[in-house]
Amino acid sequence: MKDILKLDKIKGYWAETVADSPWVAVIRALVRREARAMSAPIVQPASVAGRALTVVIAIMCFLACLTSGAVYMVNQSANDWFADIASEVTVQVIPVDAAEFEKKVTLVSLFLAKQAGIVKVSPLSSEESGELLKPWLGDSNALSALPVPRLIAVEIDRSSLPDMSVVRRALESNFKGVTLDDHRRWQSELRTVTRSMVLGGFAVLVLVGAATVASIVSATKSAMASNREIIEVLHFVGARERFIAHEFEKHFLSIGVRAGLVGALGATLMFLLLPVVMRFLSSGGLAAAEFRQLVGTAVLDWPGYILFGAVVVVVASLCMLTSRYGVYRILKSHD
Amino acid sequence: MIRFENVGLRYGLGPEVLRDVDFHLVRGSFHFLTGPSGAGKTSLLRLLLMSLRPSRGLIHLFGQNCADLPSPERADLRRRIGIVFQDFRLLDHLTTWENVALPLRVFGKSEASYSEDVTDLLKWVGLGDRMTAYPEVLSGGEKQRAAIARAVIGKPELLLADEPTGNVDPNMANRLLRLFIELNRLGTSVIIATHDFQLMDQCDAPRMVLNEGHLEVR
Repeated sequence: MKDILKLDKIKGYWAETVADSPWVAVIRALVRREARAMSAPIVQPASVAGRALTVVIAIMCFLACLTSGAVYMVNQSANDWFADIASEVTVQVIPVDAAEFEKKVTLVSLFLAKQAGIVKVSPLSSEESGELLKPWLGDSNALSALPVPRLIAVEIDRSSLPDMSVVRRALESNFKGVTLDDHRRWQSELRTVTRSMVLGGFAVLVLVGAATVASIVSATKSAMASNREIIEVLHFVGARERFIAHEFEKHFLSIGVRAGLVGALGATLMFLLLPVVMRFLSSGGLAAAEFRQLVGTAVLDWPGYILFGAVVVVVASLCMLTSRYGVYRILKSHD
Repeated sequence: MIRFENVGLRYGLGPEVLRDVDFHLVRGSFHFLTGPSGAGKTSLLRLLLMSLRPSRGLIHLFGQNCADLPSPERADLRRRIGIVFQDFRLLDHLTTWENVALPLRVFGKSEASYSEDVTDLLKWVGLGDRMTAYPEVLSGGEKQRAAIARAVIGKPELLLADEPTGNVDPNMANRLLRLFIELNRLGTSVIIATHDFQLMDQCDAPRMVLNEGHLEVR
């Protein structure tokens, strides 16, 4: 019985804390317009400092969302590249004996298909191999006269990777002029490049985050300075510190959420339009296609958009905490 | 009700602005607090309002030692005190009615429970037709009466007024003084800080005279 009473006490404490939270007050106000009290809000709803703060928050939130979305996208693209490259190896068949060449390609393909851990074997036709050389040699009939090696794309099972050194040795001992490339060098270089890109992105994100924190804290402090008289009057008429802090937290949290949402919506719009821009950019030419290959389709998936929500929460909380700190700092000079 | 024992006050490392202040005020008393400019009248009022802590000495308000009180209890004691500032300190974004109702709102009372009281009080101080006006359009006298109404709406046991007649003409000053005397008759202790001798001469009340930080009750 005693334990139940204690539990009720804990529940009561949490219920009171949650109900008392500025977040609950702001969410209530956003979700359903509560019946307004006859009196105006204690904290001045619209002031020059408040409007400046709103603009600063919206802009910084927009930039923070853009940066975090871009970093997330680069990170996702890097992961996708690795997944693609790690699940494919290439076998090159050099035309040592022209007469037996097609037969050799078929035999090598059949040999590879029998190996454990190999899911799919796709030999490229001579036309497809020629297509790969076109960017360098141009559209010429001379290609047919050249001893163009044939490539075989081999897809491997990522859940049970085959021992590539064993496959390589088996290929080389059974077939003359056949080599296997597991892209290890390319993977290593790509890993270095993408890691640098992601790290660079994080560095920019940290800088934007620091700039966001500094500008929001500074703008909130300015807005708080213009509210000093309200805090003092409330203090002198007998308001408790918690009451005054709560009023200001509600006010600044509301500003933070509204302005943050505007910034996040702006960034969302940008990311929704990005694939259209990318399609426009990649509408012609090999360079554009390579660019698209490099940065992907520029579609931000839903966890990326959730990141924007997190940015809004962080920004609004920052606003709220700075206002609370400002209230206590002013009250400290009077108590 | 109020007891000061050997109270001294200095700002930072500066000289003492109040020295060895000793007095005892009983419930329902009426006092003028006077002295030349810079004598420490406002500082003494701020000590009474617990907006400053004394550098030394003891202050007892309503039977409690203020030095030992945590912040929420100090706020609760402040609710028993009404204050009229020299510069009114009305909030510009609130109407006269909302400014006067502010202490009750802060105390957590519902608007329905005090709406009638606020309206009646505003009528009593002659601001019945200015209830929806904002402070920026009120005259000095109207602002002062609104500030007094805000100070007394919570039925304080002690009313502190800092130069309440400093910004009004002699006729309005007399009306305000009568208002304070009426409030005192209703049971509120009143301390009026002023250097207006004409005003003090109109009322036979004891004077607390501050001079170079020392207090003398005459």
